[in-house]
Amino acid sequence: MDDGDGVGAPVIGDKPAIERVATRPAEETHRSSAEWIRKNLFPNPFNSFLTVAFGIFVLVSARGLLNFVFSEERGWDAVRTNLRLIFTHAYPEEQYVRVWVCVGVVVALACLSLGLFASGGEGLRLRKISNALNATAAAIALGVVLREPSVLIGADGETVRDADGVVRQSFAEAMADRWAWWLAAAVLAVVALAVRRVPKRSDGSPAAVPTLDFAIGAMALPVLSTWVYPWGHYAFADGEFIAEPGRTVAMSTKVPWTVMWALAVASLIVGRWVSAQVDERALSRLRAVVAFTWLVVPFVLYWVVLRDPDLDWDRIFTVDAPLALAFGIGGGAVLWWLTADGRGELGRIGAIALLGFAAFHWVAAFMGWYPMLQKVRISFLLLAVMALLAHNFSGEAAKRRRLVLAWLVITTVFHYFATVMNTPSTVETPTEALIGGFAVTLVVAVFTLMLSFPLGVVLALARTSRLPIFRVMSTAYIEVVRGVPLITILIFFVVILPLFLPANMEISLFASATLGYTLFSAAYLAENVRGGLQSIRRGQYEASDAVGLSTVQRTVFIVLPQSLRASIPPLVGQVIATFKETSLLAIIGVFDILRMANSVIPAQTQFLGIKREGLLFVSLVYWVFSYMLSKQSQRLERRLGVGER
Amino acid sequence: MSKRMVRRFGGLLAVLALLGAACGSDGDEAADEPAATTEAADDPAATDATEVELVQADDDLLDTVMARGELKCGVSGAAVAFSETQPDGSQTGFDADYCRAVAAAIFGDAEAVEFVPLTAAERFTAVQTGAVDVLMRNTTWTQGRDTEVGMDFGPTTYYDGQQLMARASDGFSSGSTVADIDGAIVCTNAGTTTEQNIADAADAAGVSIQLNTFEDFDIVTTNFIEGACNIVTTDGSALVGRKANQQPDGEEWVIFPPTPISKEPLGPTYGQNQSRFADVVNWTVYATIIADEKGITSGNVDARLGDGSLDAEAVRLLGGDGELQTAMGLSADAFHSVISQVGNYDEIYSRHLNPVGLSREGSANAGWLDGGLIYAPPAR
Repeated sequence: MDDGDGVGAPVIGDKPAIERVATRPAEETHRSSAEWIRKNLFPNPFNSFLTVAFGIFVLVSARGLLNFVFSEERGWDAVRTNLRLIFTHAYPEEQYVRVWVCVGVVVALACLSLGLFASGGEGLRLRKISNALNATAAAIALGVVLREPSVLIGADGETVRDADGVVRQSFAEAMADRWAWWLAAAVLAVVALAVRRVPKRSDGSPAAVPTLDFAIGAMALPVLSTWVYPWGHYAFADGEFIAEPGRTVAMSTKVPWTVMWALAVASLIVGRWVSAQVDERALSRLRAVVAFTWLVVPFVLYWVVLRDPDLDWDRIFTVDAPLALAFGIGGGAVLWWLTADGRGELGRIGAIALLGFAAFHWVAAFMGWYPMLQKVRISFLLLAVMALLAHNFSGEAAKRRRLVLAWLVITTVFHYFATVMNTPSTVETPTEALIGGFAVTLVVAVFTLMLSFPLGVVLALARTSRLPIFRVMSTAYIEVVRGVPLITILIFFVVILPLFLPANMEISLFASATLGYTLFSAAYLAENVRGGLQSIRRGQYEASDAVGLSTVQRTVFIVLPQSLRASIPPLVGQVIATFKETSLLAIIGVFDILRMANSVIPAQTQFLGIKREGLLFVSLVYWVFSYMLSKQSQRLERRLGVGER
Repeated sequence: MSKRMVRRFGGLLAVLALLGAACGSDGDEAADEPAATTEAADDPAATDATEVELVQADDDLLDTVMARGELKCGVSGAAVAFSETQPDGSQTGFDADYCRAVAAAIFGDAEAVEFVPLTAAERFTAVQTGAVDVLMRNTTWTQGRDTEVGMDFGPTTYYDGQQLMARASDGFSSGSTVADIDGAIVCTNAGTTTEQNIADAADAAGVSIQLNTFEDFDIVTTNFIEGACNIVTTDGSALVGRKANQQPDGEEWVIFPPTPISKEPLGPTYGQNQSRFADVVNWTVYATIIADEKGITSGNVDARLGDGSLDAEAVRLLGGDGELQTAMGLSADAFHSVISQVGNYDEIYSRHLNPVGLSREGSANAGWLDGGLIYAPPAR
């Protein structure tokens, strides 16, 4: 309905986008709507029957949904009042600015990236926008007619009843009563007409606006609406609902959302301006910085911004900082020594000895032989890994310096986060968990993806490796995990994992669930990546061997870039699946968005049993985010030209 | 190829190990939020004395709780009138207030509670692993749970029992009995003892019923409203709440039989063999009951202490003299904090259960002087 050129249009991804653009205008100009309808909806008796049958089916379903949503019996106040609960659970209101900072950072970074990675493209043609507006107007008008007339409310505020049940308005009364909807439809239709009359560009191409600008411009509408209509500005106090700012549950969101919108626009402009100013080389370096920032941001936002660690400076100066310094300097020295000229076998033996030393501490930890700070154990392990990689950096001083520098960065980042994570939060919540609701869904999904992606790639490489030991191990892991349902893995991790941990180590529900998701998701990602790996032609391997690349170089520079690009569609599918699977958290007792709607809100005295409204709202939230992910992946596919080359 | 390949894949193995470490670290760091205990025990820099102290603390729950400065209280978070999560995330309800009462007794601060919302399935595990100190999660006191599951139960704070609810228009009244439900479609939620109870009761009364079960009681109620069920059955407290909030206009629901078909005594639950902690929880409950008996409320406790109108037992309980409470490891005015900050039994009950239509009068939850079962041993 929103697309003027009907079923003849090629599906995105099947055919080159460029070809599609070229053929489009010619088709369009020769068709009127009546002709289009006849040709596409009623070409022959059988298709006409299908059109009518499905049309009726759609109308009946739409009527049912509208009657449900707009029924006077619906308790939408249950959702409006509980917006804060649905999105963040018990995160305290006076600290809410932290949530907004997180949203702001993500919005700004997203728009900055969109600006920097701008792909140009054909943009959104005005004709298409006009069609979409017309379709919306038609849908509103249809909805107004379809929905059953409202029930009558008597002078006493109660619904009017007679012997047969509730009394409803007459059809004419209902139509007149819904004048606001008619007005909205009419306004949309007029706007659509105005948009359609914008003349073509001087070069004859159809008038269009850049998609991104249009999307962000359109966002201004809901943001502006918060200034007019008190969405979610309901609170239950002293036995009745109030809708006055200042005493709201959902907090006054209009100022924050307006700031977010301004931030989005500003970051987009900055991103575009910068990408126009700098040269290609600087731009690609800038993009790398932004990509790296994306990797760090979830940790910073969750552990530093949302949790606001209550840093114990005495302990930092006496324990944490000296430890970090010792590992930084000591480890740097060890790596410097290992990479010196002519270290040869001795270096490798040293690295392996270090690995053994590090592993021994873990064995000791599980046996409970002697106490040791967890981060010391991890630091030793990190150092051992670096030492194993050291021989790649031996020789020139510049290379050795780079390795030591990398070690210093790793140590600093690791010790910083280890300290922050081990510091209690200053944010006081009445319940155990810091956040819940949709925030927990997002946090678990993001951390799961960040951890499972590298693991999945490694598993895929191992599975296609020529060495049987890696192949067998990886295959066994993938097949075992894929053969077990996710909910089983989750319950296993929540119930069994604590038994395997060292004596004085405890793991939160949250962390064990994330771990379960990660291992599960990694197995599926590995299979998706393996599909990509198999699409690499033999010649690519032979060519890289011919130019003398090592295995690591070949994998990193030749094989992975091509195979990851080829597996973008299934990878995004997996990302969306993981995002939606987080709803299983409700079963293992995490208060995520689904559990809020399914059990917490229906148990509030004033909203007892009101469940369907919440579930519908939760589905909507899931849909919006999944749809955004899917749209972004299509953008990415177009940009990388998946399916074209 | 061999030697070179081995070296390359040694690198790969190392990356795997690194990832393993990363996952491991994520796990334990995330878990370390109450960092002090875990880290201190792990810390080579910590002195021996610290460790010894911690070991002792592990033995006694009351000391552990006091050292922590916060009571971890397991609640449902989704139980009408007992523990509801409010739109701002706070916990309210009868059970939640008893959590606050225990915190007031231990710390003198009713807000020193960390609520841990638990599902029915995970509640006992949470006590056993120490994730919560005490359960205030409408848990029925049964022999199996008291012995086999390894729980100990405090004094019953609410006497519940399974009842049935039907439409008055179907010919039922509050005086109906199970014998009157022959041929009815009875609905309840699956996987609970309510299913078994109603089947047993129907058998005993010699009537045949059709029993339909649904995932949870919200769905059961929806089916009842839509007419798919003639009768629904669950604990009386839940039925009253449903009737108060969901009975449609122009319809009358009745709850029967007057004597419930099962006994569901609900009260605080904690791990076994923690006598000192158990004493504190039990006597906190008793203190609210004694205060109710003597008419001491959060509003008048200070006034009545001042004007000398209290008897010797009440004065002892509120820490006036004798200091019974210090012997339990609490401050002398511990129960004064409970009454002034949270209230007596009747206040807690009325605050949360009256709004959903549950009244004490004539029920098992009336005070023993009024013919109910709410009774406390003397404080002396």
